[in-house]
Amino acid sequence: MATPDTPAPGAVQRVQSWRATEVVLPTTGILSRMVCQLPTPAALRLPIGVSRPTATTVPLLEARPAVERFLFSGQAAAAPPSRPPVRPRIAAPSLPAEASADAADPALRRRTRIAPPRDVVKRSERFFFLLQPDLETILETSRLEFPRQPFPFQFDGMAFLVPRHAAVLADEMGLGKSMQAISSLRLLIRSGEARRVLVVCPKGLVSNWARELADWAPELVVAVIEGDQRRRQWQWSLPEVPVKLANYEVVVRDRDLVAELGLEFDLVVLDEAQRIKNRDSQTSQSVRALRRGRSWALTGTPVENSADDIVGLFEFVAPGHLNDRMSPRELGAAAADHVLRRTKDKVLKDMPPRLNRDERIELTAEQRETYRRAEEEGVLRLAGLGQQATIQHVFELVLRLKQICNFDTATGESAKLDRLEAELEEIHASGKKSLVFSQWVATLGRLRERLSRFGAIEYHGGMSTIARDDCLRRFKNDSQHGVLLLSYGAGAVGLNLQFSQYVFLFDRWWNPAVEDQAINRAHRIGAAGAVTVTRYLSVDTIEERIDEVLRSKRDLSDTILSQAEPPAASGLTAEEIFALFRLSPPRRAAA
Amino acid sequence: MVGAMANSTQQQVDQAYGFLTTVDSPSHGLFGGYLIVDLEGRPLEFHCTAPVRVSRAQQILYGATLHGHLHGRQIGGTLLAEGGVVPRLVLTDQEPLLQARPHTQLPLALVTASQGAEQAGPTAHAGFSLGSLTVVPHATDRADETVLREHLEGLIQAVDLNEPFERIRAAIEEAQRH
Repeated sequence: MATPDTPAPGAVQRVQSWRATEVVLPTTGILSRMVCQLPTPAALRLPIGVSRPTATTVPLLEARPAVERFLFSGQAAAAPPSRPPVRPRIAAPSLPAEASADAADPALRRRTRIAPPRDVVKRSERFFFLLQPDLETILETSRLEFPRQPFPFQFDGMAFLVPRHAAVLADEMGLGKSMQAISSLRLLIRSGEARRVLVVCPKGLVSNWARELADWAPELVVAVIEGDQRRRQWQWSLPEVPVKLANYEVVVRDRDLVAELGLEFDLVVLDEAQRIKNRDSQTSQSVRALRRGRSWALTGTPVENSADDIVGLFEFVAPGHLNDRMSPRELGAAAADHVLRRTKDKVLKDMPPRLNRDERIELTAEQRETYRRAEEEGVLRLAGLGQQATIQHVFELVLRLKQICNFDTATGESAKLDRLEAELEEIHASGKKSLVFSQWVATLGRLRERLSRFGAIEYHGGMSTIARDDCLRRFKNDSQHGVLLLSYGAGAVGLNLQFSQYVFLFDRWWNPAVEDQAINRAHRIGAAGAVTVTRYLSVDTIEERIDEVLRSKRDLSDTILSQAEPPAASGLTAEEIFALFRLSPPRRAAA
Repeated sequence: MVGAMANSTQQQVDQAYGFLTTVDSPSHGLFGGYLIVDLEGRPLEFHCTAPVRVSRAQQILYGATLHGHLHGRQIGGTLLAEGGVVPRLVLTDQEPLLQARPHTQLPLALVTASQGAEQAGPTAHAGFSLGSLTVVPHATDRADETVLREHLEGLIQAVDLNEPFERIRAAIEEAQRH
């Protein structure tokens, strides 16, 4: 085979030169020689061996996985490791299970999990909650017994409160907020997480709370802070008492004393916490001044009149978490992490129904005439005041007219009372009990006189605590007392009157939430049967006009709690109050 | 023997119980979790592994031995070596985890829902019933079955034996989210 370096024999004689890329041939004639370019020959490679295969290593499962370790020894159920004080956010509570509790067999009973609050971010702290036994097991192994088996939603309420430092339990009235709070604080005390607890409630509910604490936490020693200053100072200073119970007025009065004593509470529970919605009030400032680790607020009406209410409430629960600049939707989103609210229709499917009746009452002829004159004179006076008219002037007229709707000031006639008396005849004959609410103590007195044959007795803020307790005891236990006459102020909150099956709102309160509270004295857990609620409205009077405004307010609370847009009307504005008489407010009143 | 395996570095706690399980996450792999509780079901320790991923090649190479190796040695053996508190016994709700027994000195038993005798295989050890559950000790521990049963009878007064596994799963699910 010829190669560039070694031409084949014979070819050499004709080829002048031979290189790798050209061949030079001898010629004759003009050209002495001819050079022909040759294409570069393609390389021809012949395999001389087999290349090594790529080695694929399949690792065996020898390396042990990394392990994270979490130790919980010696820690209480309610105390996550290294938990910083206050300001947690709240995780949604565990959903109620379908099955009911069955204490006999752990495998069959309902399990309520204590979910970690949302702002607990450290994995070890979240694991701490997730790895706890269910609440039912914790309660059972802690030997904490209940006088009555709590409802599943009440276990959920406890699972909500126990891990939280900032919580608003906003259940509808009658669902047992106090029982849930007591059971939760009981767990904290049992676990050692709380040693000093302060419960603050309205004055009229102190004895009620004392009873509830004795009922649901009989092992806890409770000191009621009351009496003169010297006695209160001694009571505040009691070191070995885990639970102290005080009313709001005492907390305001003893604000400096509590500070001087250097008292610090592991938990402060506010009942009827809507009382602190006004941030500038002494009540709000005094409870916010309490040094505390946990802040729980109990209220069935976290939003009574306006969105500001819940901002005020949160100044105690989680200062700075909400602010006035937030839209209702933003407020709802931020508050949702801290608020647990259930309504009876959602959690008590089998609770007796509440039957509402709006009875429109025609005033008697004499009442109508008295009413007409009073309204005309009042409106003329307001018009005459012009820019000098104030909301106070309008309120005075409203109150005057409402009183006439109750009783004719000239003759004492009352179309409402005539109707009420007739209805009570039948109710009393059936052995059922009734609650009658009015705005005025004086009205209660007149009702009592007329309704004495039904054993009507009064309950209002003008009575001593002892007298009120005695009144409740007689109404509950003595079948002769078929009617309890209550003022909205004293009787709308905290009382358990579920043995009553009829509620009458003799006149209307300004706020639908207060009316709901009143109604829920009877329509609550333990109600024996359907509760009939009768609201009297005098036809073609100020009562009807107020009712229209109240209807537009009724949805505000739900709006914020459901993070929806608010309705146009969120409360009785100055314009609305003046509009009750078709008047325009003066400019400063409108502002 | 039951309860006699504490080494010098481990803490003796009266009446502690271990619960061992795995959670298979399609996106992460196989997690192992080991919870030690006291007689009232309260957590004393929790250990969890990083997820272990098994390749297709490993599945083929290990064949039928994969589960035993993965659950028993890789995860179960690793976790059981971690405990500071020595439990009286360890329960699992997954049969492959029983293969951790050769890698630990702790007695190990499987908890299952009770099944009728007709469902058990002719050679299978039936274990013993506790309420609605059946406990099947590892073959190594069958001689101690009576003692194990006594230990568990105390625990089930407060704790449903299936319930702690739910807690482990919840914690591992939480670990995947954060």
